[in-house]
Amino acid sequence: MTVLTAQAVSKHFGGVTALDDVSLDLRPGEVHGLIGPNGSGKTTLLNLLSGYYPVDDGSIKLGEIDLTKARVQQRAVLGIARTFQKPRLLATLSVLDNAMLGCYPSTQAGFFETAFALPRARRDYISARNRSLDILHGVGLGHIINRPASLLDHAEQRFLEIARGLAMKPTFILLDEPAGGLTEAEIEALGRIVLTLRDNGVGVLIVEHHTDFVFRISDRVTTLNLGRMLKHGAPAEVRRDPEVIRVYLGA
Amino acid sequence: MTNSRFRLFATALAAVAAVALPFFVADQYQLHLATLIAVYWILVAGLNLVVGFSGQLSIGHVGLLAIGSYAFTILASQHGVDTFSATVVAGAIGATCGFLLGLPSLRLPGFYFAMATLAFALIVGELSLAQQELTGGGAGLAVPGFPAPFDTPAGFYWLVLAIAALVTGATANITRSMWGRALVAVRDSEVAARANGVPVFRMKLLVFMFSGFTAGVSGALFASLQTYITPETFTFELGLFFFVAIIIGGRGSILGPFLGTVLLTALPEVVAPLARLGNFFYGALLLIVVLAVPEGIGPLINTLRERFRPTKVEKQLVSPDLRRLETAINAGQRV
Repeated sequence: MTVLTAQAVSKHFGGVTALDDVSLDLRPGEVHGLIGPNGSGKTTLLNLLSGYYPVDDGSIKLGEIDLTKARVQQRAVLGIARTFQKPRLLATLSVLDNAMLGCYPSTQAGFFETAFALPRARRDYISARNRSLDILHGVGLGHIINRPASLLDHAEQRFLEIARGLAMKPTFILLDEPAGGLTEAEIEALGRIVLTLRDNGVGVLIVEHHTDFVFRISDRVTTLNLGRMLKHGAPAEVRRDPEVIRVYLGA
Repeated sequence: MTNSRFRLFATALAAVAAVALPFFVADQYQLHLATLIAVYWILVAGLNLVVGFSGQLSIGHVGLLAIGSYAFTILASQHGVDTFSATVVAGAIGATCGFLLGLPSLRLPGFYFAMATLAFALIVGELSLAQQELTGGGAGLAVPGFPAPFDTPAGFYWLVLAIAALVTGATANITRSMWGRALVAVRDSEVAARANGVPVFRMKLLVFMFSGFTAGVSGALFASLQTYITPETFTFELGLFFFVAIIIGGRGSILGPFLGTVLLTALPEVVAPLARLGNFFYGALLLIVVLAVPEGIGPLINTLRERFRPTKVEKQLVSPDLRRLETAINAGQRV
């Protein structure tokens, strides 16, 4: 089993310590919730895992592969997908084209093969299109595949980012506040998608403020505070922890 | 489906009209103009992948055009290379120069990259003036023509047209493919591009080299069409002209920049008073487009349609089809 691990990672921004000696392991077929107050380092940890920032200390590993120095696009090709707190879609392209961008790592045809529309380029295109269509219908965007991304509402943007990530055939998908700004019904749909991913072997990391949602769907939960690990364990356990209640959940 | 059939029909009609053009033109000058448009378009089509699709603002492609022209002329007239091989070599030299220019400059953010290409164009201009024994300096060089059957105006026009069609087809294939989506991602969100495994810098460099190749080929044909080249032929305004043709045409479109090229080349010639305005005309047109239709004239049709008959955006709750999702995930599972 391939595990994505952050081993004793630290990150400083100037004089500010964003993360201090934090470890986390993400397993395939598991939902891992990451919660904590604002500025506790949740998104920083996600950015270290996906490669947006280099770690100052510690290491990142995917199974036996050392990713500590690997660049973002290398990690993407190795099967680590992510979404963003503020969705980063290509506004002028359609929903389908946006999802198809996620199939880029599976593209085989080179530039000149593509320029002359050789068979391999055609195959790339068709398989990307079919896969994207399946995933878009799967996450519930099948009715708007031709709509430009600029016309999507907030929830549709979030679901499209997840679809784009899934098009990459990821082993792990890291979701940065996926429930932010969604209605109860949409969160419910999101939860069902996440559980389907888990049941089919994808490892999901959820960075989220909506703690009820996290506790409901996570298999394990990690709580951060001020860049340090506060508590780690099963949802029920973390929820009862007096420290977690004091600094984050409240009475 | 009707849309794509209409497209096919329109393309076929335009192709027939383009091929039959020499039989309809009133005088040789109009044919010369049509050939010039096709020559410019060969460069602009390649540049369009750089500017319109991957969003790198190169204003110095006139430098690559000049290199292609001089390479072709020197090879064909002084070294006895046949004109077709010289054209291909001019393209290869253009691609090499594109590589050498892009390697240090494509990592720069937009504005600084534009400045680097500007500096490149200026340097090429000065060098072509200074290297007298190679380029003839200010006196310039006579350019050999292509052999029969391409030695008549119509024959040369058809040759250029065929090359232009080939280049257009290649760029259309690129933009419609997975590469096209990756290029737009490089333009609109490098962060999203990287997150999806797109090697951003390599992507930029590759299309820049491709545009160098088309600029070199275009330069060879341009020189042959002009029959005589001097450093004066390659003014900086020409570099700006290519760039403006794409901006006026609209980013992310092939038809738009093509219309831009036609418009900018033909309009001042057809409407005589505009010719007297010279650069003022380009400036005014650019200003109008940037202020009134910043998306360019290419997407204008869609914008207008949207205004008169807006697409109804109905709110529909996202309802996942989990079984289909499951199938898709399992189909893509890594072993």
